[in-house]
Amino acid sequence: MAERVARDSRPSAVGEQGLLRRANVTGLLFALGLLLIAEACVRLLDLSDSVAAPGDAAGALVQGLADGTLSGEVATTLSTYVEGLALAVGIGVPLGIAIGSSRTVESASSVVVEFLRPIPAVALIPLAIFWFGLGAPMLRFLVAYAAVWPILVHTVYGLRGVDRMLYDVAATSGVTGAARIARVSVPAALPSIATGIRISAALALVVCVTAEYFVGTEGIGHYMQDHGVAYRLPELYAAAALTGLLGLTVDVALRSGERRVLHWVGEERARPR
Amino acid sequence: MSTRAVARLGEVVLGAVVFVAALATWEAWAHSAASFYFPPVSEVGREAVDVWPSADFLSAVGASLKRLAAGYAIGAAAGVAIGLAMGSSHRVRRTLGPTTEFLRALPVIAVVPIAIVLLDDGDVMRIAVIGFGVFFPVLVATVAGVRGVAPEIRDTAALLHLGTAGRTARVYLPAALPTIFAGLRTALPIGLVLVVISEFTGTGNGLGVYIWTQQFVFNAHGMYAGILFLGLLGFVLNGLFVGLERRVLAWHYEAIGESLR
Repeated sequence: MAERVARDSRPSAVGEQGLLRRANVTGLLFALGLLLIAEACVRLLDLSDSVAAPGDAAGALVQGLADGTLSGEVATTLSTYVEGLALAVGIGVPLGIAIGSSRTVESASSVVVEFLRPIPAVALIPLAIFWFGLGAPMLRFLVAYAAVWPILVHTVYGLRGVDRMLYDVAATSGVTGAARIARVSVPAALPSIATGIRISAALALVVCVTAEYFVGTEGIGHYMQDHGVAYRLPELYAAAALTGLLGLTVDVALRSGERRVLHWVGEERARPR
Repeated sequence: MSTRAVARLGEVVLGAVVFVAALATWEAWAHSAASFYFPPVSEVGREAVDVWPSADFLSAVGASLKRLAAGYAIGAAAGVAIGLAMGSSHRVRRTLGPTTEFLRALPVIAVVPIAIVLLDDGDVMRIAVIGFGVFFPVLVATVAGVRGVAPEIRDTAALLHLGTAGRTARVYLPAALPTIFAGLRTALPIGLVLVVISEFTGTGNGLGVYIWTQQFVFNAHGMYAGILFLGLLGFVLNGLFVGLERRVLAWHYEAIGESLR
C-alpha cells in the first residue's frame, strides 16, 4: 500500500507530457483493444451505415494521403491557420506590451477588451461572412480574433509579473523607459507570452476547422462536411482522425519550439499554475 | 476619498470614456458609410431592446441553456469521475493516457459530423457534443488536482487504512476541489461555444440557430443583437460561476489567505 502511494506521487507525468515521452505499452494496447472492439462491433452488428469501421477509416486515410486529396486539404488549412495565428501574434503581443507596461493604456483599453473578449469567435462566423465574404480572408480574421485574446492576456500578465528587482537593476544601470521595456520587461515576460501563444494555437486550430466546416470552400473542415453530408463515413473518420493528429502535432511542435527558444527558463514554470 | 480611490475612479472613467468614444466612432462611421453590413450602434441597440425580451428569442435562449446545462453536467461528472480514477491510480492513468490524449487533441468540430450521423441532428447530438467538449478540461484539471495532493496526506490516508472509496471521497476529492473548479470554469465558455457550434447546423430552436438564421435572411441588426447577447451571457455565466466558486471554496481561500480575483 505505502509503496503504491509512494509510486503514485512520483513526479512522472504521462497525462501531461503526452504520447511521445515514453513508450506506454499498456496505454497503447488499451487504445488498440478499443479499436479492435469497434472494428468487430461494426462488422458483426452491421453498423457501417452509422459508424465507420476503424480499418476502413485507416484505409481511407492512407488512400487520401497517397492520392493527395486529404494532404492537399491539410496544407490549405495549415496555411490559413498559420497566417491567422501570425496576425494574432503581430497584434496581440505589441498590444499586450503596451497594456502591460502602462497603467493608463491598461485602464483606457479595459472596458473595450472586456467587452470584446467574451464574444466567442465561432459566433462571429456569420458576421465575418458579411464583412469578408467567403474565402481565406474571412477564415484568417476568425483565426486571428480567436487567437489574439490568450496572447494579449498572457503578454499583459507576463509584463505585470516581472520581478521588481530586475527593474532596480535596470535603474542602477541607467536603463529606463522604452529601453527597459525592450531589454528587461519583454525578455522576462517571454515565457508567459509563449504560453499564451500555445493556448492560442490550440484554440485557433479548432476555430479554423470549425469555420471551414460551416462556411469553407476548402480545407480539412470542408472535407469533413462534404463527406459527412454524403455519408462517406470512412473518409469522414479519416479526416477527423487526421484533425486530431494535426492538433497533437501542433501542440508537440510548439512545446519543443518553446523549450528550444526558452531553454534558459527554469523548471518552475513547467508546473501548472 | 483617498488618493488611491480617486486614482481607481479615474481608471474606471478612462476605460468607460474610451469605450464610449469607440462606440461613437463606429456610429459616425457607420452613418457615413451607410453599409448594410455595418449598422450604427444605435440601431443595433434598438434592435436588441426589441428582440431580447420577445418570446421567440427567450425560448431560443431557454433551449440553448437547457442543452448547455445537460451537456455540462454530463461532461463535468464524467470528467471528475474518470479524473479521480486516473489521478489516484498510476495503472489507470497509464492505461487511459494515450486514448484520452488523442481524443483531447481532437478539435470538437471533428466530432460534430460523426455525432450527426450517429445521433441525428437534434438535442441528443448537441448535448453529446457539449459533454464531449466539457469533459476534457475537467478531466485534466481533476487529474492534476489529485496528483498535486501532498505525499504526507496520501501517506496519512494509507496509514488510516482508508479504502479506495474512502480515500477518493474524503481525501482526493476535497484536496483536488480547487483545481477541479479551475477546470470547471475553463469548461464553461467552451460549453457555451459548443452550444452555438452544435446549433449552427440550423435545425430546431436555439441561440445559435437564431444567429445563423439572421445571417440567412440578411438581417444584420438581428445578428449583431444575437451575438451581443451571447457575449453578455458568457459574461454573466462566468460571474455566477465565480460567485459559486467563492462560496464552495470559501474554506480553501481562507486557508491560503487569498481572495479570488
